[in-house]
Amino acid sequence: MATPETVTPDPDVLTENEQLGKINSDYTERYGFHDAENYLYKAPKGLTRQTVEMISDFKSEPEWMREFRLKALDHFLARKQPTWGSPMLAEVDYDNIRYFVRASETPSRSWDDVPEDVKRTFDRLGIPEAERKFLSGVGAQYESEVVYHQVHKDLEAQGVIFTDMDTALREHEDLVRKYFATIIPPNDNKLAALNSAVWSGGSFVYVPEGVHVEMPLQAYFRINTENMGQFERTLIIAEPGSYVHYVEGCTAPTYSSDSLHSAVVELIAQPGARIRYTTVQNWSMNVFNLVTKRAVAYEDATVEWVDCNLGSKLTMKYPSIYLLGERAHGEVLSIAFAGAGQHQDAGAKIIHAAPNTTSNIFAKSISKDGGRGSYRGLLEVAKGAHGSKSKVVCDALLLDEHSRSDTYPTIRIGENDVDVGHEATVSKVGEDQLFYLRSHGIPEEEASKLIVNGFIEPITKELPMEYAVEMNRLIELQMEGSIG
Amino acid sequence: MPQIIEVCPLTELPPGAVRLVEWEDLEIGVFNCGGTVYAIEDRCTHDDGTLADGELDQEACTIECPRHGSLFDLKTGKPKTLPAYVPVDTFPVIIDEETIKLEVE
Repeated sequence: MATPETVTPDPDVLTENEQLGKINSDYTERYGFHDAENYLYKAPKGLTRQTVEMISDFKSEPEWMREFRLKALDHFLARKQPTWGSPMLAEVDYDNIRYFVRASETPSRSWDDVPEDVKRTFDRLGIPEAERKFLSGVGAQYESEVVYHQVHKDLEAQGVIFTDMDTALREHEDLVRKYFATIIPPNDNKLAALNSAVWSGGSFVYVPEGVHVEMPLQAYFRINTENMGQFERTLIIAEPGSYVHYVEGCTAPTYSSDSLHSAVVELIAQPGARIRYTTVQNWSMNVFNLVTKRAVAYEDATVEWVDCNLGSKLTMKYPSIYLLGERAHGEVLSIAFAGAGQHQDAGAKIIHAAPNTTSNIFAKSISKDGGRGSYRGLLEVAKGAHGSKSKVVCDALLLDEHSRSDTYPTIRIGENDVDVGHEATVSKVGEDQLFYLRSHGIPEEEASKLIVNGFIEPITKELPMEYAVEMNRLIELQMEGSIG
Repeated sequence: MPQIIEVCPLTELPPGAVRLVEWEDLEIGVFNCGGTVYAIEDRCTHDDGTLADGELDQEACTIECPRHGSLFDLKTGKPKTLPAYVPVDTFPVIIDEETIKLEVE
């Protein structure tokens, strides 16, 4: 057995505390900055009927949408704040949130027409560059509304619609009305009711039968002001035999008081269609991220959620898939990183409602510096869904004694002829693993990063390359100084 | 064997009205939807909550579950929106000499 090498401290290497300090400074520099506020409108704090009516008036919406919003507001007000999930949920102060902020008159199709401050922000985040290199279309939302939207001409020629939700309501009202809120009704839960009352922005994607959108469509969500509430609404419809990959990312400035992000995302995969939905969530540490995401997959369709949660103060998010047609397939790959002061309550729900449906859930969480990672999941096989197969694997990695991991799996099986497997592990970065790597001359911190990268690799390999690189970089950054 | 049970005179259930009847261990919601009467089991297939307290849309002929918002088609019992995905049972309605009756089994 090899003798461990002695690692001589490099005087240029920062101390642990210095490295921890560097983490925050990096977020501020890369994502946590904020712009001057040259807004067209900034609503006062708090939620009233007048706020909801004002949003609807601003957008000149049809009467049915106005009524939808007001009914949803009643649901929101009638429901108590949930008490499950996280104690942090009690800290959400709905009266200290701005529910609508308008930065630009209309979504632009040219970056040159986007207000200068806003354009500079997206330049700094690398969005226009990414658009040129590897995307089929881009939407960029700043505060409450989308400020830029563009999609490749050849996709438009094939009938693909990729636009912001407000424009979709104006230009494709029949399609919106047919599908909107059919997957997540306004009173599904308190936060879905809130989104339904004050929704603004988000993406609308329609892919006609048989059309394959080869390169991803991307949306980037940016919060700039303090105590902001961002409530985008996304609806993706993939007609039979079509394919689309939608990617979303998000960041916000770091403030001392909290913001709220509460999206509703609905996916509809018609027979034989495939939708992949990738999220790289990197909100700042003062954002509550309380999101409802749900999909339906009809016969022979596939829905995949790739869900990466790195940022936010508290995330509660359980992307779900209803397998409604025979041989439909659902897949959720979830990764959560919980550092100091963070609670990532993530997971997945899959409902097998038809015969011979298949699904996989792979969930991984990493907790350090007192952070808390939770897996909360549901696997349901309905009566009659014979021949269904599912595999659930959730692994947690704890990097120190102060951090926490919880697993809350629920499995309901209403059929005998099924094949369901569930595995869960909780592990610590072991002394033996570190010792082995150090014995090969790898410094301890580097060894720890290798172990973490190996742990998350099954998820990151499913990300588009640019995101996998960014994800690894973020994880490495957050890992710095983790071995004391 | 199917049985016929009496609900009420038709005049007591005008358009837009709802009435609950019990038969054995079942609760059945009876709805007058624009002049046509429908009956479904009063139990949301999502989480067993009552449907009769929900909002009746006479034009669409749907009842909205008051708990999580699933819309059920009163003619077929099928959910038109999630989170419910299993239909509720429906019961044939008979109007016999201006009296509403249900066929139950």
